[in-house]
Amino acid sequence: MFAQFFGGYLLNKGLVNSDDLTTAIEDKKNTRMRLGVLAINAGLMTAQQVEHVNITQQSVDKRFGDLAVELGYVTNDDIERLLSQQPTDYLLLGQTLVNNGVLTNSQFESAINAYKAETQFSDEDMNDNQNEVLSRVINDFYHFDSAENARIYTDYVTLLFKNVIRFIGDDFTPLKSRMVREYQAKNFVKQEFSGSYNSVACICADNDAYKGLAERFSKESFTEIDDFVDATIGEFLNVVDGLFAVNESNEYGVELTMNPQEIIKDTKVELSKSGFCIPVQFLFGTVDFIICNQ
Amino acid sequence: MTLQDLTVLICDDSMFARKKLNMAIAAMGVGKIFEAADGAEAIEKFDQYKPDVVFMDIIMPKVTGIDALKAIIANHPDAKIVMASSVGTQGHLKDALKAGAADFLQKPITDEDAKKILENAAKGVL
Repeated sequence: MFAQFFGGYLLNKGLVNSDDLTTAIEDKKNTRMRLGVLAINAGLMTAQQVEHVNITQQSVDKRFGDLAVELGYVTNDDIERLLSQQPTDYLLLGQTLVNNGVLTNSQFESAINAYKAETQFSDEDMNDNQNEVLSRVINDFYHFDSAENARIYTDYVTLLFKNVIRFIGDDFTPLKSRMVREYQAKNFVKQEFSGSYNSVACICADNDAYKGLAERFSKESFTEIDDFVDATIGEFLNVVDGLFAVNESNEYGVELTMNPQEIIKDTKVELSKSGFCIPVQFLFGTVDFIICNQ
Repeated sequence: MTLQDLTVLICDDSMFARKKLNMAIAAMGVGKIFEAADGAEAIEKFDQYKPDVVFMDIIMPKVTGIDALKAIIANHPDAKIVMASSVGTQGHLKDALKAGAADFLQKPITDEDAKKILENAAKGVL
């Protein structure tokens, strides 16, 4: 999930725009990693050295690795180690942005170094999809620590993103969160939890994004928003919320019950307390997920 | 008994969940499939069709899946009711098994999960 959050970071920092990022997410599946980006990521070469090798390659018919060794930037062992690495998703995204001319090698170098410094993630962390690491990525991105019950927000949103990847797809970018107390909704699906604590989880979207989300979850196509589309989004929320309640029960002994989902259209919805609105940009539009622990 | 001989009742307030499960088990060859959208309808349709297997959601309006389970078991102690819920919490699991549920599936239900249940029901070992 680093690719999506690294994409979100680049967007938040204004290093890429939304269109370029969307294109890169689509192009990423056909991208092959190049040694230059791998070497920059591993801190073995600077962007300037990579550029130097690239330029030299224009006049000398040699492979990147051989030239980089000849120029004394890396050793043969370094090259072998880099080549044996599995390409990670966030690096593929970076490579695609470089290939598409959105980022130069040097911009990629500063961005990846700044991201690692800011999040304090090591290369091992970023190759690892362990729950603990994911929770950290998510907590850092949304600054849940500022809220009471940060643990609940972090766990819910971590689970949400895992299920987005599982049921909807990995071609999304998380956008900056905001606090909301009320929400003017075109399409709004809401589910309440009660028990050891009370919470409400919602999915909100305009028509295109709502339909797009339903199409991905149901693997069907829809021409209009009808009761079945509402039921589809309702069931996606229900599945996520249910798994969350199960985890709460198994890991923390917290017993929660859930109410049936409510579908609300074209109305201003008021929450009893401020909640986090988590916008996620998909290729079919932006969906807002709201989670509010009361 | 084969899958074709089975009568199945799907109880879920989600039209989406009913349709997906209905399509999946119809593709496996199940002969008769009925649907109910809440717990009250589930009790009524059980009496009407006497299904061999019931897939029962828990969180439903009017009558919950657990209450519907209890009501059906009270009149038909041998009913094979499989809870199919998004909320397989310890509490719900305990309540369901105590009330006589034959099994418990965590949503989303995979085709393999549903098939295993139906094959066991056909063999009489559910």
